[in-house]
Amino acid sequence: MASKPVQTPKFIVRAVLVGAMAIALAVLPAFIDPYTLRIATGALMWAGLACAWNIVGGYAGYISFGHSAFFGIGAYTTATLMQSDVGASFFITLLPAIVLAIAVAVAIGGPTMRLRGAYFAIATWAFAEMLLQLVTVLDFTGGTAGLSLPAYLNEFFFYYTMLIAAAASFVGVWLLIEHSRFGFRIKALRDDEPAAESLGIRTNLVKVQSFALSAAITALFGSIYAYWTTYIDPHSVMGPEITDQMVVMVLLGGLGTVWGPALGAVLLWVTNRYIWSTFGDTVIYLPILGVIIALVVLFLPNGLISLLVGRQRGKELISSILSKL
Amino acid sequence: MPVASRKAESPGHPPLAIESVAKHFGGITAVDDVSLSAGAGEVVGVIGPNGSGKSTLFSLAAGGQKPDAGKIRLLGIDVTGWPTWKIARTGISRTFQIPSLFINMTVRDNLLAAAVEGDWQRARGRMEDTLEMLEISHVVNNLASELSGGQQKLVEFGRVCMRDPKVILLDEVTAGVHPNIRQIILGAIQRLRKTGITFLVIEHDMEMVKEICDRLVVMDQGKIVAEGDFETIASNANVQKAYLGRT
Repeated sequence: MASKPVQTPKFIVRAVLVGAMAIALAVLPAFIDPYTLRIATGALMWAGLACAWNIVGGYAGYISFGHSAFFGIGAYTTATLMQSDVGASFFITLLPAIVLAIAVAVAIGGPTMRLRGAYFAIATWAFAEMLLQLVTVLDFTGGTAGLSLPAYLNEFFFYYTMLIAAAASFVGVWLLIEHSRFGFRIKALRDDEPAAESLGIRTNLVKVQSFALSAAITALFGSIYAYWTTYIDPHSVMGPEITDQMVVMVLLGGLGTVWGPALGAVLLWVTNRYIWSTFGDTVIYLPILGVIIALVVLFLPNGLISLLVGRQRGKELISSILSKL
Repeated sequence: MPVASRKAESPGHPPLAIESVAKHFGGITAVDDVSLSAGAGEVVGVIGPNGSGKSTLFSLAAGGQKPDAGKIRLLGIDVTGWPTWKIARTGISRTFQIPSLFINMTVRDNLLAAAVEGDWQRARGRMEDTLEMLEISHVVNNLASELSGGQQKLVEFGRVCMRDPKVILLDEVTAGVHPNIRQIILGAIQRLRKTGITFLVIEHDMEMVKEICDRLVVMDQGKIVAEGDFETIASNANVQKAYLGRT
């Protein structure tokens, strides 16, 4: 936290580790084949998405089942603007995608974040379903047929784009939540909303801000994903399994921690790809996933990250958040 | 406290004035036409049997609930119906009957969280002063969930102090705590009142009430049934009726 001394041996060790990881990620493409590079690109995307969901689910304590909507908003905004009749370049589409996601998050988050627990979860799920149905019937989204984007077949470009986006997301969250007043506000409202209000914290505003920030990051990755895959349809970018995966990755890695979601995302995505490449397109991944999550919630309530940093505060956190459901 | 609120203060007004406030829950009247005010540096005790409306009155004053009738004035400003956060920023701060700490945060972060809407530049210095005043420096890095009940009461009281409020509402702040902790809290109240902070204290501990309160307000069935100093109240027939059922 910001209150700790800046220059400590622990800080230096962490800085060295983060620096080494950054260098390793930067040079990784030079040492792996194209298939593995594609898996690594996917891992970075899911790490960024898990980081985004963790803002609302882990730090604010509001379990959202509607984040696939923001992923889809990013994907569809980029896809629509890159159609030949508009002809926008990829990077130009990122800003409207993020702005639209923020606008929708504020409009939806304003009323729904006054709800608590299961009511909020159901409201966000219903919102995502509504948007999924909407893009299925609209003309400009291509309906069920979806949209094709101009192909840019450069895996290195997408790897580094995902890497920069994921790094920016994690550093941004680390600074904003672990080293600023906003972090105190959001964690306070998670633990005890009436008490936070009694200290002058405008909890409804903080909740909407966190929802909007989370939506913006999610939409950013939706945009990159659309350009990367060159084709999207309603279920590929707005299906409920996108949110489910974010939730599970955060729970696995460590709810309400900075690096836990990255750990959970990488492990789950690599496992997912390994099973897919070994057993083909099978549903065996799902029961394995279920068992892993059950074991982690029971025996490592703060996720796998607690094995690395030994945090002891997970039991209360996960139970206080999940008990709202 | 925010500069804007300071500017809005009306000189000559009591820090807290509750005027003919009422609150109903369905057919039950929890607070019925209650008026009271407290001056700068004054400690007013609010006593009465369980269910007499004391905590509801606190909740109305702090914005946790909206009154059905009447006015709440803080530093002369009509704050009736304002949201809790806005009333808190205007200068009122409270503790809860059951300590409401941020259980996944350390004692340090609990205290700092109380200062995020105030003078952030001075927050760390004030935190050190608060830790020292309440003698909890040794648990500063502990999670709130790891504290004893008495320590939790101290941290919650410390959080209130970090707000730099004009009016503090304490809801049974010494209930069930060790005598040493009780003395720390009493000492802190005495020290803070000298700086002009107004206290409204709900308490069942009559020794404490006698020791720190300038004036007592007795509530029963949502109404104020007596008001005065400790000796006057102790001999009041209405009070004896409310507490002991004597007629």
